[in-house]
Amino acid sequence: MVMRALDLKLIRDVGKMKGQMLAVGLVMACGLAMMIMARSLILSLEVTRTEYYEHHRFADVFCDLKRAPNALRDRLAEIPGVAAVETRVMGSLRMDLPGQSEPADGTILSIPEDRPLRLNLLHLRTGRFPEPGKANEVLLSEAFATAHGFRPGDTLDVILRGGKVRLHIVGIALSPEYVFEARPGQVLPDNKRFGVFWMNERDLATAYDMDGAFNNVVVDVAPGTSTKSVMAELDRLLAPYGGLIAYDRRDHGSAKQLDDEIAILNGMSIAFPVVFLSIATFMTSAVLARVIRLQREQIAQMKAFGYSPAQVGGHYLKFALVIVGIGLFVGGIAGMKLGENIVRLYHKFFQFPSLTFHADFGAIGMAFAVSSAASMLGVLGAVRQAVKLPPAEAMRPEPPADFKPSLLERLGVQNLFGPSMRMALRNLERKPWQAFFTALGLALAVGIPIVPGAMRDGINFLLDFQWTLAQRQDVTVSLIEPSSAGAFSDLRHLPGVIHAEPFRSVPVRLRFGQRSHRLAVTGVPAGTLLNRALDAHGNPLPLPPDGLLISGKLAEMLDVEPGDSLRMEVQEGRRPHCTVAVQGLITDYAGLAAYMDIEALRRLLQEGASLNGAHLSVDRSRWQDFLDKVKEVPRIGGVSITAALKESFRKTTAESINLIQGIYFLFSIIVSFGVVYNSARIALSERGRDLATLRVVGFTNREVAGVLIGELAMLTLVAIPAGLWIGGRLANLIVQSASTETVRLPLILTHQTYATAVLIVLLSAGVSFFVVSRRIRNLNLLEVLKARE
Amino acid sequence: MGRGLTKVYTSGEVEVRALDGVDLDLHVGELIVLLGASGSGKSTLLNNLGGLDVPSSGTLRYRGRDLTGADEKTLTAFRRDAVGFVFQFYNLIPSLTARENVALITEISPDPMPPEEALRLVDLGDRMDHFPSQMSGGQQQRVAIARAIAKRPEVLLCDEPTGALDVKTGITVLEAIEKVNRDLGTLTVIITHNAVMAEMADRVIHLSDGKISKIERNSTRRPVRSLEW
Repeated sequence: MVMRALDLKLIRDVGKMKGQMLAVGLVMACGLAMMIMARSLILSLEVTRTEYYEHHRFADVFCDLKRAPNALRDRLAEIPGVAAVETRVMGSLRMDLPGQSEPADGTILSIPEDRPLRLNLLHLRTGRFPEPGKANEVLLSEAFATAHGFRPGDTLDVILRGGKVRLHIVGIALSPEYVFEARPGQVLPDNKRFGVFWMNERDLATAYDMDGAFNNVVVDVAPGTSTKSVMAELDRLLAPYGGLIAYDRRDHGSAKQLDDEIAILNGMSIAFPVVFLSIATFMTSAVLARVIRLQREQIAQMKAFGYSPAQVGGHYLKFALVIVGIGLFVGGIAGMKLGENIVRLYHKFFQFPSLTFHADFGAIGMAFAVSSAASMLGVLGAVRQAVKLPPAEAMRPEPPADFKPSLLERLGVQNLFGPSMRMALRNLERKPWQAFFTALGLALAVGIPIVPGAMRDGINFLLDFQWTLAQRQDVTVSLIEPSSAGAFSDLRHLPGVIHAEPFRSVPVRLRFGQRSHRLAVTGVPAGTLLNRALDAHGNPLPLPPDGLLISGKLAEMLDVEPGDSLRMEVQEGRRPHCTVAVQGLITDYAGLAAYMDIEALRRLLQEGASLNGAHLSVDRSRWQDFLDKVKEVPRIGGVSITAALKESFRKTTAESINLIQGIYFLFSIIVSFGVVYNSARIALSERGRDLATLRVVGFTNREVAGVLIGELAMLTLVAIPAGLWIGGRLANLIVQSASTETVRLPLILTHQTYATAVLIVLLSAGVSFFVVSRRIRNLNLLEVLKARE
Repeated sequence: MGRGLTKVYTSGEVEVRALDGVDLDLHVGELIVLLGASGSGKSTLLNNLGGLDVPSSGTLRYRGRDLTGADEKTLTAFRRDAVGFVFQFYNLIPSLTARENVALITEISPDPMPPEEALRLVDLGDRMDHFPSQMSGGQQQRVAIARAIAKRPEVLLCDEPTGALDVKTGITVLEAIEKVNRDLGTLTVIITHNAVMAEMADRVIHLSDGKISKIERNSTRRPVRSLEW
């Protein structure tokens, strides 16, 4: 097929302005990459999650209880709307791992032997299921096994309810209820110190004194049935058996983490592309408006030869399509590459049988439609103007630029500026929209790198606030079950313990009006030195003699203020219900907390010196003695080491933050380079004649570059403070959108973050300008003396 | 002073000899008219004289400065310090007023006259704060002349200064040039294809095919006001 002449012209024109096309295309690519990446990740996570949950029959409702006879299972199955029930024995265990000085702990779940597993089916990665009747054979969760290199055939010494047991690993498995495999309530996985185990029901029941009984139930709700009514009935039936409140997937630790991630991606897939695409659209429109102005006479000729306005208009719209094509090509590849990298990162957080990257081709199609529609709209005005011009008029050169006295003159301050500054100011004033979008682009470029900086500082602040200022204990030791004063004495006398404080933690439901929330109320001694409640400034809040101190976030969720009274329904022991006052709000950044004076809590429970564990401060020089000994105390269920927690948090987040920072820095560089390059090229083309005249009358190359740079320098100066503000808002938006029950990042904006952002933009703008200013050397001085273009 | 000035342009495979061995001496205070048809090489000669271009061969000296093989930096300095340019299409900066267009040059010159004085010299004392788009062609060209002379150049080069103007306006522009030449004693070279202008010159240099075909000396310069075409 012979290419049409107009298309040949298109190709050659594009070739002549490839730098600019590329600059605009790359800015567009940033937005499209972000969109394609986020949409593809959403698709990947959603497809994988849906398949996994369906195939492995992930339950809808979950409930813990103290102990109920297996016979109750049939009764539960009769609850209207229940499709399937699985009852289980669930417990915690402790491990002393070779080569790891800190103790690790885990959750262990039963696998039925007398019936098939109905819900939360396991995905066996390697090995086999435990054989019925074979004691102490277990399946191990994959993340934990990988972290330690365990394989089927290995053995592992653990403490099961106080007794030392040697477990034989027969297989490695995954479960839909541990996609996010972390200790309950913890923000990030710590696969070195927490794992999940599955064991034959009979053996586990024996170890936990649960023969013929269960302490955990999961339910599949039939489609079309209200989960709420099932939960209510479940609560009613399980209440006599020490049932805690039933909860659904929305409150399920692992499921919630996945939901949160998808929600964040959703936000990202809209907000960023909109901003990038609007900048790119304006750049496209500025470039093409310039092309059309330059080609006025060619347009007239085409029309004179008989090309229809539609043909001419279509020709110029194709320029916009070329830019969109570049953007889509680069953005598509970059988005998929980024997505693949993030999926690799996800493997650290989310455990799926297989999590592969699914490119969202629908999103790519949408990206194409949105960006081409936007840029077409951007150039439509210029195209219409060109097409409307009668050929005879179009063949005459454009009338000279019309300048009026600017704001400077009206303010009477023009004498403060030299002629080149005045040229710049008047140019800006003459084309306010072009100036606005150029400045906006630069401001955006300044704002983007602030986000990862704020995230990094926020995480560091959170770590310090949460685990240095508020929780000052070196170790938190929790007991298998509530114990009495003697247990505290044992813990206090562990080697190296300098200071010990008991805590009592009770599951409750807090109600205020229609709202309620289930969590644990923690009783700590008045005047605690270790686990402190802090105000917003980091000052300790004294524990009131009665009533609660609760997290600000919890107050927000329950819509309560200090002074309000809450209904507290204790879910343990005698399960008393009472009214407590909110005495104050505490500032914290991870989890939800409700603190009470331990004595007041014990009175409420009608208990003596009961405790669930202790916060300990340990002498560093006797750290190893302490660790060796603590592993041997039989009643201990879990040992959590503050420093290890902090370190693991830091490590896990560091990689994500580095990746995000890399992406954001790159985007910032592309936008600032592209915007400056494009503006400078347009200015050079529009005012080439002026600039060449200056060269002829004796201005040096450097001085002419100075005239050109004046305008951009002014825009950059305006853009920087605006960009810092935008960056702050952007960071706040992202921090807010990522603020959940489990983690809330504080917004920390430092001078260093700001300085880095400004530096990135100034450097890339500078390099970009340098590249363009080299073209000043090539200005044709002789051409100037001849006729106008 | 130019000797054997030759300029050869190569455009593609075609070689164009725009100047072909031109010998020329110009003196302080003279008003020269360079007359020639389109393509005679007059613009090329002006470009060489003004330091916009260098000859392919021959020598070009200005007051002891050798411009023959000068580099870009030397040429820029020469244009900046010694030469004033007036173009056919004025080439004013549209975003600057008349006064500011002149000031643009005076700010980089070692010994300029105040912009206001330069503008009064071309009878534009009352239009100093107008933008180019608010002035007629003749007025714009006079601003261009004021811009060219404000730095007190030793040479004023005018390339078809009336080419884009009607007769009446052209006369006012030429009057301004004549006045500058007379009052400031600036060596002035006017390029034109309009033979009528020859009468206002001290010397008329005729160019054709890149060669000087004839040099005429007028015993008296005819006042511009009485010219007609």
